[in-house]
Amino acid sequence: MRVILESKVRAKPNLPIEAEAIIPRNFLKGTDLLVYEGNKERTLSELFWIFVEGTAVSPENIEVILKGDTSRIKRVGEYMDTGSIVIEGDIGMHCGNFMSGGTIEIRGNADSWLGREMRGGTILCRGNASHYCATGYRGEKKGMQGGKVEVFGSTGDFCAEYLAGGTVHIHGSAGDFPGVEMRGGELIIEGDATRPCGNMKSGSCVILGTVHDMLPTFEKTRQRVLPEWKITADVYKGDVANRGKGTLCVRS
Amino acid sequence: MTEIWVKNACVIDPLNHINGEIMDIAIRDGRIVESVSDRADVIDAQRCLTLPGGIDSHTHVSGTKVNFGRYMSPEDMRAGRTKRKGKMHVTSGYYVPTTFGNSYRYSAMGYTTLLEGAMAPLEARHTHEEFTATPHQDMMANTLFDGNWAVMDAVREKDVRKTAAVVAWTLKAARGYGIKLTNPGGTEAWGFGEDLTGIHEMVPHFAVTPAEIITTMMRANELLKLPHSVHLHCNNLGKPGNYQTTLETFDIVPDLNPDRQTLYATHVQFHAYGGGTWKNICSKAEEITSSVNSRPQIVMDMGQIMFGRTMTMTADGPMEFNLHCLHHNKWSNHDVELETGSGIIPVTYSKKSAVNCIMWAIGLELALLTKNPYQCLLETDNPNGAPFVKYPEIIGLLMSKRYRDEECATLHPETEKRTSLCALERELNWHDIAVMTRAGQAKALGIVNQGKGHLGIGAEADIAIYPIRTDSVDPAREYRKVVEGFQKTRYTIKRGRVVSRDGDIIVDGANATFWVDAMVPEDLKMENDPEFIKRFEQFYTVRMSNYPVQDVYLPRGRRIETEVFT
Amino acid sequence: MIIHDVICPFCGCLCDDLELECEGGKIIKVQNGCALAESTFMTDTRLPAPIRRTESGWEEISYNEAIKETAEILQGADRPLLYGWSSTHGEAQSVGVHIAELIGAVIDNTSTVCHGPSILAIQEVGHPGCTLGQVKNRADVIIYWGCNPIEAHPRHMSRYTTYATGFFVPDAQRERTVIVVDTRRTDTAGIADEFVQIEHGGDYAVLSALRAIVRGKASVIPAKVAGVSKEQLIRIAEICKTAKFGAIFFGLGLTMSRGKYKNIRNAIELTDELNRHTKFVISPLRGHGNVYGSNEVFTWMTGYPFAVDFARGIAFYNPGETTAVDILRRGECDAALIVASDPGANFPRAAAAHLAKIPTVVIDPHVNATTALARIHIPCTAAGIDAAGTAYRMDGVPIRLKKVIDRGYPDDAEILKKIYDRLNGGKGP
Repeated sequence: MRVILESKVRAKPNLPIEAEAIIPRNFLKGTDLLVYEGNKERTLSELFWIFVEGTAVSPENIEVILKGDTSRIKRVGEYMDTGSIVIEGDIGMHCGNFMSGGTIEIRGNADSWLGREMRGGTILCRGNASHYCATGYRGEKKGMQGGKVEVFGSTGDFCAEYLAGGTVHIHGSAGDFPGVEMRGGELIIEGDATRPCGNMKSGSCVILGTVHDMLPTFEKTRQRVLPEWKITADVYKGDVANRGKGTLCVRS
Repeated sequence: MTEIWVKNACVIDPLNHINGEIMDIAIRDGRIVESVSDRADVIDAQRCLTLPGGIDSHTHVSGTKVNFGRYMSPEDMRAGRTKRKGKMHVTSGYYVPTTFGNSYRYSAMGYTTLLEGAMAPLEARHTHEEFTATPHQDMMANTLFDGNWAVMDAVREKDVRKTAAVVAWTLKAARGYGIKLTNPGGTEAWGFGEDLTGIHEMVPHFAVTPAEIITTMMRANELLKLPHSVHLHCNNLGKPGNYQTTLETFDIVPDLNPDRQTLYATHVQFHAYGGGTWKNICSKAEEITSSVNSRPQIVMDMGQIMFGRTMTMTADGPMEFNLHCLHHNKWSNHDVELETGSGIIPVTYSKKSAVNCIMWAIGLELALLTKNPYQCLLETDNPNGAPFVKYPEIIGLLMSKRYRDEECATLHPETEKRTSLCALERELNWHDIAVMTRAGQAKALGIVNQGKGHLGIGAEADIAIYPIRTDSVDPAREYRKVVEGFQKTRYTIKRGRVVSRDGDIIVDGANATFWVDAMVPEDLKMENDPEFIKRFEQFYTVRMSNYPVQDVYLPRGRRIETEVFT
Repeated sequence: MIIHDVICPFCGCLCDDLELECEGGKIIKVQNGCALAESTFMTDTRLPAPIRRTESGWEEISYNEAIKETAEILQGADRPLLYGWSSTHGEAQSVGVHIAELIGAVIDNTSTVCHGPSILAIQEVGHPGCTLGQVKNRADVIIYWGCNPIEAHPRHMSRYTTYATGFFVPDAQRERTVIVVDTRRTDTAGIADEFVQIEHGGDYAVLSALRAIVRGKASVIPAKVAGVSKEQLIRIAEICKTAKFGAIFFGLGLTMSRGKYKNIRNAIELTDELNRHTKFVISPLRGHGNVYGSNEVFTWMTGYPFAVDFARGIAFYNPGETTAVDILRRGECDAALIVASDPGANFPRAAAAHLAKIPTVVIDPHVNATTALARIHIPCTAAGIDAAGTAYRMDGVPIRLKKVIDRGYPDDAEILKKIYDRLNGGKGP
């Protein structure tokens, strides 16, 4: 089954919409869902033109497609556990929060907190992702714990902060402090990064581009060939500012 | 004039020797009276369990430290969120809820009076501001004196009268209720990063020992005729082998008051550890309870822990730092000049941890091994051992051996070897629970004559009606019904108004704050003591005139004046 | 008339030993205060009555009219923002929170542009701190990092640190070592025993290096970190470890420079590490007189110290998303109520500009830069001058601000209560 949601023109286009109801499973029972626009509750049909093609008996066979201006829509795919969502343009904050299964593809850019506290499943972002891509919530000890986030463009600051599990793969560059407070999982940045892995405790990070402002508290241990990336990398242990036992590999 | 007639109530009112009688209760203008007119609103209790409003004699719900626990825990705030609904404000938080969250949840459980366990006098205004925003319970504040310089000076001079005078001045300035000592002397030592390891060790720079502080304060407390006794958090909290410190402390407690205890020892579970390291820690609940069973001058509370995530917060700064070094989680510390300290860290009590399982068992052992329920009150040192919403589960555990056995089966195997819980057959009855959750607290806090903790004529009409039929529920078997029943009252009545029905708050709160104005002879008044004033102005960072809490902070203050001593 | 022990409401020090001479409803002399205190008490630019913008300029309106229109503006909004709160008392702040929960607004205070990052850091690692008297009575090492108290908190050093006589530090000037860390040589640096000059944006690296050195990992540290020699770093670490009681104070130089809350987190973790050797505390130098109070009041009422979003009925918090500057910059909000602060002067241009596009109401004793962006300005009392109320000092000590004169203005808490009543169909909070 395919559900197409095309955003309607709104009187106040800058108002954020919170739409955690948009997950494949919810469309099994129809399209009668509630979302918030600012401080008002709205039905899905007030904000979207809804087209449903075909039927489904189980949620894994449901594909939700978002079209139009979706850049202010938050929480799409929150707690999603199966099925797929395709966003043709840009998507608002918190896309794929707590996601545990299924696939989200964003053809445009993603706003901040993409895949926050994600547990499983896959997020593909064809454009750029803003700050706090694949991270956690304020005060919480663990960020993303499982699954995969792949960004084909670049990310803003604090990418993969508190990463605890799963894989974060950035094809472009990451901003300031990627992998800060990392305690597990794997972070790959094909482009450049600034001050990577500050205060990391565990986990591993590979940076293929240039590292700016490398922190002074990483201990260079050896060189290693990384066959999957066809490079030789310097291998650092850290962060020794704490009891960190993480691995940071930077192209030699 | 408002009147309520509660009919068909199955009343347990231990202080009036009523145990499960079906009777009616008449309420007029907030008090219990002989009879009401036929215009009274009628509540049919349908033979459900009806108790005096619950009293928590040691909880952390208001003030600097509690609020800091909230401030540093956005991750907890998302756990207990509710929307505004009718008279209810928005709430957030599970183990450190907002003030309204605390108030509503206590009310839903039938609690109508709370003693905040620790208030630094310098920051008392904050506590009182939060009391006002905790509107459904009458409040009172234990006032911290453990590292009070003026107190330690007087203790060193062995001057009980002067000690009493400092206490009286400070209680009045802080609008406090009673004397709290948290790791006496230790919090001062923590000012320079040290701690004390026993009650006979000298406090650095002050040449007094915890034992001297405790002894002198107990005498000062009785000299001032304060309603409550000294309220003590013993030295060495949470350290393996600390039961010896606790026993030594109990040994120096005289019996000075015929009406109530001379020492209230709080969260004793945390002070009942044998062994010498975390590896060989074991229960010494038997030793502790046998001491308490032979000393009517001591009342304790359990300090029960329950499994799950919570926040520890105490004036015991050094203990929190030690705990932080074990947990490597976030740590806050807040020392208060000339007075006390405090620390806050989040913890998770896990069934996988032998230490945590032993702690859990010790709390229950204390309650089951104490013969007189008036001497072991039920609480968790909220939120240190667990958030107070766990009280119903504790009640269930105390009333049902089967429930305990089922729980024990899921615990670390060491629990059975290093505690005696599994061997304890005792199951507490409804009356015991009523004592341990209200009557005992009222007596220990000295508020029976304020109309608290009982349902006699003239008492404040604080009443909890639980959806429990004691004639048809067997708590040993149907403990789930007991737990559920204590989670949500059918009615909570506060000072003659129904404030909560089936868990929903239905009116705005109008609580009162009790505080003690202890009288001292004219020549002992600290506000006239030039040396006291000089020291104050020199070493505090606020002026003495700006220190006392103004009356505006207690919109419904209830001043309790004591008789002047000679 | 002389009034003693008056509290200055200007900055987070809340000095409470001022002497004011008042005559006929006017303050004529301020004693004991700093220059900032003097201007706080002596300058008054209040409007005689509420004003409303018209096509041709401003018109005076009655308080009732202003309150009614404010309520209508808020009632109709889909994403109202209530911002400010830091220069008024807790009583007004608390009514503000009740308004926000009633109408589903975002409520934020000035932490958003000052120590918000410090709060985020504290939420990650906690806060080893104390009241200022602990520092005064005990500290033998004082570190000022990214702040210039001589300018911003002029009496901080004489009341609490460098020059204050303490119980265990009777000869303060001789017994206290003062370390200043900054990117430029400030006035405060001039009185330091040790000045550490860091390259712009290098605070995080320097803090990490210090932590590693304290942990015995000096061998990993390169010869220079962000312009600071390893030698000096080792010396500083040693001074800290051998202190009897050390205190770090930091300001916007640390919170608002590159890395923001991660800088603060790193400083807190350094403090934590030092506590394994001696006693160390750390504290932000808070700016507005009662900004800490707004954090306290928001926290006990909503669970969060700032940036609280009630749009969904429950309280939600996520700085970067629910902070006033971000909401304005994204053009989200469609009505604003600004109380006791001046975002028109302090916010980034794009954020402030949005205030002019939407109906904005200012409740503030004084005319300020935000007035120029507003539709309505309602003058009120100034907390600590002609209104009493609660304020929290930067270390959490609550103090009652005094009312020293009466100028006949309504208290902002009263105005806000009336707005609340209108929004709630006549029923109080």
